[in-house]
Amino acid sequence: MSLVSRALAGAVVLSLAAGMAQAQAGLTSSPATVALTATKSATLTLSPTSATATLASITDSSASNQFSAVNLTTSWNLTSGTSVRLIGWFATPAQALVNGTDFIPSSKVEGRVGAAAFSPFSGGAVGGVGVANGSLQLFSQAVGAGTFLGSRSDQLDVRLNLANTFTVAGTYSGTLNLQAVVQ
Amino acid sequence: MTAAACGRALCLTLLGLSAARGAEGQTAGLAPAHVLSLALAAPNVLGVTVTSGGSQSIASLVDNATNAFPSPVVLQTNWNLNPGQTAEVDLIAYFAVPAQALSGGATQIPSSRILGRMATGLPTTYTAVSGAPVAGVGTAGGSLHLFRQAINGGNKVASRTDNLDLELNLVGFPTLAVGSYTGTLTIQAVTQ
Repeated sequence: MSLVSRALAGAVVLSLAAGMAQAQAGLTSSPATVALTATKSATLTLSPTSATATLASITDSSASNQFSAVNLTTSWNLTSGTSVRLIGWFATPAQALVNGTDFIPSSKVEGRVGAAAFSPFSGGAVGGVGVANGSLQLFSQAVGAGTFLGSRSDQLDVRLNLANTFTVAGTYSGTLNLQAVVQ
Repeated sequence: MTAAACGRALCLTLLGLSAARGAEGQTAGLAPAHVLSLALAAPNVLGVTVTSGGSQSIASLVDNATNAFPSPVVLQTNWNLNPGQTAEVDLIAYFAVPAQALSGGATQIPSSRILGRMATGLPTTYTAVSGAPVAGVGTAGGSLHLFRQAINGGNKVASRTDNLDLELNLVGFPTLAVGSYTGTLTIQAVTQ
């Protein structure tokens, strides 16, 4: 055995140690994973720009009793259905507007969106929305593939049609419900 | 070489030299002694485990808003390293395809919309997963450096536990179509 052999053996060990040093830099763990899921549900929203509509002075025997206009934005994000419909309705049709014991029925209240003709709130419910004899479908918007995501803005006009009707002096107030439905 | 000199390498020296020298003086016919040194590297250990929160779900996304994932991802990182050869441990979160971090049908949500924070790490406030790789781990534009842990003699064998909070920021993002969006966030540690 010579010193040369021992030196060689030592060199082998040193060589291996150097290899280990290089291996530790850049050592990576096995990857761990986190599964992410986010779900977007179908939506249908209705946003009026104002919660009130007013009429300063009632004129009897006239259809020219128009409330201040209300702008509405209807938005939808759907996966099915053929139409989005907007319904306006009074909970108690016989007492749409109340002044103490004096009432104006919903049949005397008319509405429209856009350039449509005024119609009374005296129809039936639509798609389960509304009440019998107190409802009015304001629009029906067709939807389908390509239009399941959309929105529209409308101006809602409401008036009292008091033709051949006289009212007791006072302030009449009531609540018109607006609700959209997909069919 | 002695075992102490080998450090983390396990060295076994078979030294027959003394006996051979003693024998040399008495018996000229003895074969020369041989020294055989063996070195065995102890395995370096670096691991990361999701101990909870490995499946994150938002039940109902809200458009144009920040949507938080409900619970933190709890990460345990463990190592067994030589501080003379390793300066630090880095933990990185990344998406393999940054432009498609979450996919739902034809709609893709990019990784820049996924934000993470680690109170015990580097992004202590919500930061987009849109950075660069670290030491070769991660993807360009789809990575988030979660922590950098210096390694020394006091923590060469150690572990740490961190909470990673995630959120999906849809502010200013186009309205999402109805459906589910899924993706995988990869977590990986690397030494430098």
